[in-house]
Amino acid sequence: MSSGYPLDRRPVKLLIVDDSNIVRRRIERSQQFDDLQVVGTAANGFEALELARRTDPDLVTMDLTMPQMDGIECITQLVKLKPAVRILVISALADKATAVEAMERGANGFLNKPFSDRQLNEAIAELMY
Amino acid sequence: MQSSGADRIRRLLTAGAGALLAALMALVLIVGFRLATRIRANVALLQRASLLEAYPSEVSQQLTALRERLGTLEYTGGVHQELADSVAKFDRNLAALERRPGVDPAVLRAAGRLWRAYTPVLAPVLSYSGEPYSDTDFGSSLSVSGKIFYTQVRRAELFAQSSAPALHRRLAALSTALQKRTSRAASRLRLLLSAGVLAVLLLGAAAAYLQLARSRGERAARAAEEQTRDILHTVREGLFLLDADYRIGAVWSQALSHLFGREDFAGLPFEELLRDKVSPATLATATKYIKLLWGERAHENLMKSINPLGQLEVMLDNGRGGKETHYLQFNFHRVLGPKGVKHVLCTVADITSNVMLARELNEAQESAHSQIDMMVSMLHSDPLQVGGFLDTASAGLKHVNAILKEPARSHAEFSRKLTGLSRELHSIKGEASALNLMSIAQRVHHLEDMVEELKGKSELTGNDFLPLVLKLDELLAHLRAVREMILRLGTLKDGTSPSDGTLSTPILRLTGAERPNGADELATTLQGLARKLAEDHGKPFTLSLEGLEAVPTAYLPTVKDCLIQMLRNAAVHGIEPDAVRRAGSKTATGQVRAQFRRLESGCELVFEDDGAGLSPEALKEAAVRKQLLTEEQAAELDNRSALALIFKPGFSTRAEVSMDAGRGAGMDVVAKAVYALGGRIGVSTHPGRFTRFKIALPAPSQTAVA
Repeated sequence: MSSGYPLDRRPVKLLIVDDSNIVRRRIERSQQFDDLQVVGTAANGFEALELARRTDPDLVTMDLTMPQMDGIECITQLVKLKPAVRILVISALADKATAVEAMERGANGFLNKPFSDRQLNEAIAELMY
Repeated sequence: MQSSGADRIRRLLTAGAGALLAALMALVLIVGFRLATRIRANVALLQRASLLEAYPSEVSQQLTALRERLGTLEYTGGVHQELADSVAKFDRNLAALERRPGVDPAVLRAAGRLWRAYTPVLAPVLSYSGEPYSDTDFGSSLSVSGKIFYTQVRRAELFAQSSAPALHRRLAALSTALQKRTSRAASRLRLLLSAGVLAVLLLGAAAAYLQLARSRGERAARAAEEQTRDILHTVREGLFLLDADYRIGAVWSQALSHLFGREDFAGLPFEELLRDKVSPATLATATKYIKLLWGERAHENLMKSINPLGQLEVMLDNGRGGKETHYLQFNFHRVLGPKGVKHVLCTVADITSNVMLARELNEAQESAHSQIDMMVSMLHSDPLQVGGFLDTASAGLKHVNAILKEPARSHAEFSRKLTGLSRELHSIKGEASALNLMSIAQRVHHLEDMVEELKGKSELTGNDFLPLVLKLDELLAHLRAVREMILRLGTLKDGTSPSDGTLSTPILRLTGAERPNGADELATTLQGLARKLAEDHGKPFTLSLEGLEAVPTAYLPTVKDCLIQMLRNAAVHGIEPDAVRRAGSKTATGQVRAQFRRLESGCELVFEDDGAGLSPEALKEAAVRKQLLTEEQAAELDNRSALALIFKPGFSTRAEVSMDAGRGAGMDVVAKAVYALGGRIGVSTHPGRFTRFKIALPAPSQTAVA
């Protein structure tokens, strides 16, 4: 998988947004891309937007059900803030309507929880390379 | 359908050749027309030339005739006039020829010169107008002018005779030349016409070929069209294309009409297809999804994974005027053109049977799981007891069924039905949990919940009971499954370990007529239930049983039901927690005793516990709370009557509902069973010390035993 993109490129900056600490660690650890750099982790929408402003990520993994500001709202604002950012929704919601809603607001990919490392890496590869 | 480049080139070539041939034809016609015109002109010239040819000899003949007439003194006027006409005609025709270009000019000029040489000699002859004869009585003779005229005629005659051959030759040559020209033009015209005919033939051939090619192409197109139609007619999925306005294209498969029961798909917005068939929320999501398909981010796999129409529940007409629930699966494939997404190909399949199959599979799996649970619990319980329980439970449920089937009209009747149901269910649940058959106990508990819910309703109709009937069927099926499993388990145990000490009797015989000692079985059941109750409620107590072997077979089921219920009541209401007991200077372990005796007058069953006893006041309060009594009625009640409240239907002192007690069906079940056998039941109690039930039953009659 690592041969699918040029190695001399600058690392892809990843922001992880999930209210579950376990999931955040899980995503952090599962990264097998040499040039993927986790620039921040956020537990809710507000933190996510603040971190996005500061770190200018290329890729955001986004949970949908979070306290304070949910994922759908966060995606809407994030796309306004950083139009170039790619958003991978990672959610346990089996509800297709929410997935469609997220896509409409500007998400680029969708991954269902629970996911395997392979599924996650494939989803990221599909979005970024 | 498939218009290849080579095909187009061939068509262009044929069209070019056709145009060329048509131009050629036009040229042939124009040139031919001009040639024909020229030939006509030449023919006119030729006629004149032929006329001229005759004149030289005619002129010389006329001159000779004139001279001879002068010699014989005959009238000259006519001949003179004819000569003048001939000369004039010659002049005219020659002038006409000279005016025509294209006639051999040298010959014409020579002829002209020769003819003009006539003029000096002819002019005096033609211009003579005198009287050539002088007539006397003696006869006539030439006059003076006549003599001169004669000389002139003679000279002209001589000149004409000498010149005529030369002039004739010239004119003949002129004719020949003209003739040659004409025939040349005619042969050219022939050639041209041949070429024209050839061109026409070629053109015809080309047109025929073109026509043939076109009809071949049309045939191919028709065949392709027919194939497309066949595909659309036969394919089982609904197929159609969506355009960028989310409208359905002009072509769709027949299956789509069957699915949606309409034909007007062309141009129909996708939203309209689903409107009235799905919820507005689903419709909104579907519309958003369709819009996303046109977007850049719509990766095919991603879009497939979030397809909200992958399993869509819709209400469709069933063709008989009613509606039916169907499950439709929509799939979307983007058709890419040079400028991005051109269409979205949509397939619709009716997956109702798949969904149903999956559901059945799920249910089967669940039932398998519960069977395993059941099996595990049965491995831990005495198969003899389980078998006995199944018999009574089936009988009980059949009774429940009978209650459900009873017709009822008034609310009171429905209420009575519900109360009857509660009792039956409660006792089945008690036995099931006594045997640790939790899967059955839970199901019955669930049924009880439903009954309770109905009790809370102010208006009841027969329809309210339908869910109960269904649930009951399910429970019966479950019981059958359990029974079957026991049979299997029995064979298994028999076959594998016949010497297993825990199972002295093959289970298979349980369902048969030769029941082993009922009293032993009853004792085991009760002791098991006692252990379980003590454990569940954290109240240790011992159960002592006496004289159960004396219970007549006919009374066994009733005695069993009563004892189970009373045992549960004792464990829940009677025996206190050990802390309370110690404080009341009692033994920490409670004592429960059941004694059956045969008396002369019949039988007696005594059941007692050394628990908290019954409080008449608490019983009255509970009865008021349950609205079984008004406060006034309660106040008037003496202690004895208060105690009798526990036998009233729907009475329970327990506020909370647990698996073992509190449903309000308990002692009334016992009382009813006792009354059914023609017996009596009584209770005596002392607060803080004991509760004692005494049941008197008549001696079993022979018929009852049988």
